[in-house]
Amino acid sequence: MKKSSSLDALARSRRSKKWVLLTVRVIAFLATATATLVMALNKETKTLVVAMVGSTPIKVTLTAKFQHTPAFVFFVIANGMASFHNLMMIMVELFGQKLDYKGLRLAMIAILDMVTSTVALISGGASAATFMAEVGKNGNSHARWNKICDKFETYCDRGGVAIIASSAGLILMLIITAMSIFKLLNKPNSVSS
Amino acid sequence: MIKPKRLLSLLLRFIAFGTTLAAVILMATSHEKGTFFAVSYEAKYTDTPAFKYFVIAYAIVTVYGFLVLFLPPGSPIWRLVLALDLVFIMLLISSISAAMAIAQVGKNGNPRAAWLPVCGQVAKFCNQVTGALVAGFIALITYIILLLYSIYNLLNPLFEKA
Repeated sequence: MKKSSSLDALARSRRSKKWVLLTVRVIAFLATATATLVMALNKETKTLVVAMVGSTPIKVTLTAKFQHTPAFVFFVIANGMASFHNLMMIMVELFGQKLDYKGLRLAMIAILDMVTSTVALISGGASAATFMAEVGKNGNSHARWNKICDKFETYCDRGGVAIIASSAGLILMLIITAMSIFKLLNKPNSVSS
Repeated sequence: MIKPKRLLSLLLRFIAFGTTLAAVILMATSHEKGTFFAVSYEAKYTDTPAFKYFVIAYAIVTVYGFLVLFLPPGSPIWRLVLALDLVFIMLLISSISAAMAIAQVGKNGNPRAAWLPVCGQVAKFCNQVTGALVAGFIALITYIILLLYSIYNLLNPLFEKA
């Protein structure tokens, strides 16, 4: 009698853990997708008066787009790929309960989580974009690079929002990786579902 | 005698330690002075926060790599080393990514933002920074190989069970 109730409790706790992991994955997917979209649609056009010829001002139209900077292009691609990975993992958890290959499924999920999304992609993309944004905001006097954020404020603000969203996604992906690894390490000791 | 597994792991860790040390030294000793039409300038790694972050991150990993070299095999701390490997790989990736972003602008400039490339005037500085980044890349790849190898050793019992 006691043994079956403890098995029930174990099964219940494993089901609730599965939903917790799924919720965190959905939030992380939203965070990285937000970062991708906000940075990809980041564009600002401004007309500046360059010189005066007589009494008519000469205007120049400048556009700030994310494609001008390779670091931001990398940021968009990295966050896009991480969102895709999260989406795939959500699909697999919801619909792919039958897919298994020698019990390797949990191991592959954990490793893919760790290597692709968390470690390589998001951290590299967020870091490169952060430092490029820092140069854009403060300039670099030694290299004679002027700051651009005082002229293109909306562009800089949106870029900042995208970087913050990506960092939040990174922290959530770290939590997901830790949970996946714990699931992997606890598997052989518990009752198979 | 030393088992071949242990020897391979030790060799990889030594390579990783050596390349991180090379990256730190190359980046930290890169500075160049010159004149450009009577304007004197100096290029140092402290000019950009990205390069400072690179030096600090790789210095931390060098110290860590040095300490791990002396860890006796079979000690329970190796599980902690596996987790720390992952954390430090993340640190390395973020620092090399930042340094490469800034170095790319320094080499090619960004004409839309009126940022001129700097490498034409300070060629020696640029070459040394490139060398530091290459050494950093090799260290990163070595650490990733080490991580995959440790995970394979950890999970091997699980595979054989199934």
